[in-house]
Amino acid sequence: MRIAVAGKGGAGKTTVSGTIARALGRAGHEVIAVDADVNPMLGISLGLGMDDTERLAAVRQGLDTGQTDHEPTIEGMLERFGADAPDGVRILVASRVDMPDSGCGCCATTADRLLGAVESEGRTVLGDLEAGTGVLARMKPGSLDVVLVVANPAPKAIEVARRAVETAVARDCRVIVVANRVKDAEDLEAIRAVLGDQEIVVICEDPIISQADAEGLAPIDLDAEAPGVLALVALGERLAAAPAHAG
Amino acid sequence: MPDTAELIRRSKTGSGVNAPGADARLWIATAGKGGAGKSVLTGTLARVLARRGHRVLAIDSDTMPGLTQSLGVAEPETCALLGAAEKPEGGRWRLRPGVGPARIVSRFTTQAPDGIRLLQLGKADKDGLAPVAGAVSAFLDFVYRINEAESLRRWAIIGDLPAGPRHPGAGFSAYTRLYVVVVEPTSQSALTGRRIASLARNHLGADVLLVASKVANPAGRRRVERLLGEPVDLEIPLDPAVVRAEREEVAVFDAAPDAPVVRAVERLADAVQARTLGR
Repeated sequence: MRIAVAGKGGAGKTTVSGTIARALGRAGHEVIAVDADVNPMLGISLGLGMDDTERLAAVRQGLDTGQTDHEPTIEGMLERFGADAPDGVRILVASRVDMPDSGCGCCATTADRLLGAVESEGRTVLGDLEAGTGVLARMKPGSLDVVLVVANPAPKAIEVARRAVETAVARDCRVIVVANRVKDAEDLEAIRAVLGDQEIVVICEDPIISQADAEGLAPIDLDAEAPGVLALVALGERLAAAPAHAG
Repeated sequence: MPDTAELIRRSKTGSGVNAPGADARLWIATAGKGGAGKSVLTGTLARVLARRGHRVLAIDSDTMPGLTQSLGVAEPETCALLGAAEKPEGGRWRLRPGVGPARIVSRFTTQAPDGIRLLQLGKADKDGLAPVAGAVSAFLDFVYRINEAESLRRWAIIGDLPAGPRHPGAGFSAYTRLYVVVVEPTSQSALTGRRIASLARNHLGADVLLVASKVANPAGRRRVERLLGEPVDLEIPLDPAVVRAEREEVAVFDAAPDAPVVRAVERLADAVQARTLGR
């Protein structure tokens, strides 16, 4: 199964991605977590900490610098450039921007190509996308089974989520809206008013998740029984139980 | 270093910052992680600088909506910049004959309050940026050729960058002399801030102004500084006026001109003017 997580910056994509990946790994699934954001953060919510997250090698830079021979296969890339996170999750960072790039940021091994190419038969590939809808818009129809669109209850985040849903639907994906950081009925209503046609999963505002983000920890490591964490674990179980994409 | 009142006086009399020949450009880009408050700060800063007498060009290079609201202008139905480009049969998008950076500002921007001009890259829909490809092409021509426009030398140019380091990395913010790096008290926001600050200082030769945003208490600022590994230049308080303005779809600058966040942006404007005009 291939899952992508999209939404506005700050909506909670990375926290949702990291926690679901850990939960699926803990439940015994083979999980490949692809950080498809050029500002890679997924390592933090997977539990690697800020410093190790900063050290993770990115695929494209590894190839570009000529420090390494060309790696012809995606499985080889996973082997050579991937890193181990807790609960058996393997993380692969697609690309990171550290230097001014005089050329086109869209060439070489792009996040969308990499995410679309990692073998998903018998395992879960989970891609944490860059803010906005750019990577999603470049994905080929049929290359993703599920798109989790994360929306916190702020007008701009809901508008970006609406565009992400449109973009995902146009690519034949099952869409689940993750209504994140919901504090009250009014928050949920704001999300439902725009995205009510979609399947919605609610994650309530959880001080444990905020604390984890403040300290650079994985929420599941800080408190696996916190309500927000449990809701994300349940979403992971629901995804794992669903049949693969039917087209 | 002139103080704010002095700058205002000089800009109004034309004897100082706006005098012919004076290199009075304020070239600023606001950068940071999504949700840190970039758009609110950029839009409000643009309004504050415009009220202080600067001619302001606001550049919105985010492919998602964002900056219009904090500037106090409605999101345009169609991207004004589309009119600047043409695509010859079988060729690539290019600027229409006679169109350069100055003409783009006068003809293909949206008017916002206080005389601000808004230049927008164009917004992505379900087909990505394909429907606004002409505007994207014109946008890149504009930012790479911005120095050609003598008439823009006296403008304050302020860009609201999309989340993360992609745009500074790709050189889309070539106009930038000062990066205002906005960091809220979270690990992800701080790591993004570190990356952008490093990119700006070490590779783009730009100055960096570090801003702690959404600061609820003194511990919030200390947390930002600890996570960043260096002190910040100023802080912007967590202010419910921002949330209220967003819900009501108005600019916080118009809805609550005395709100703590607007006061803080006035201090940000002081710092920006000191950093860019004072050197």
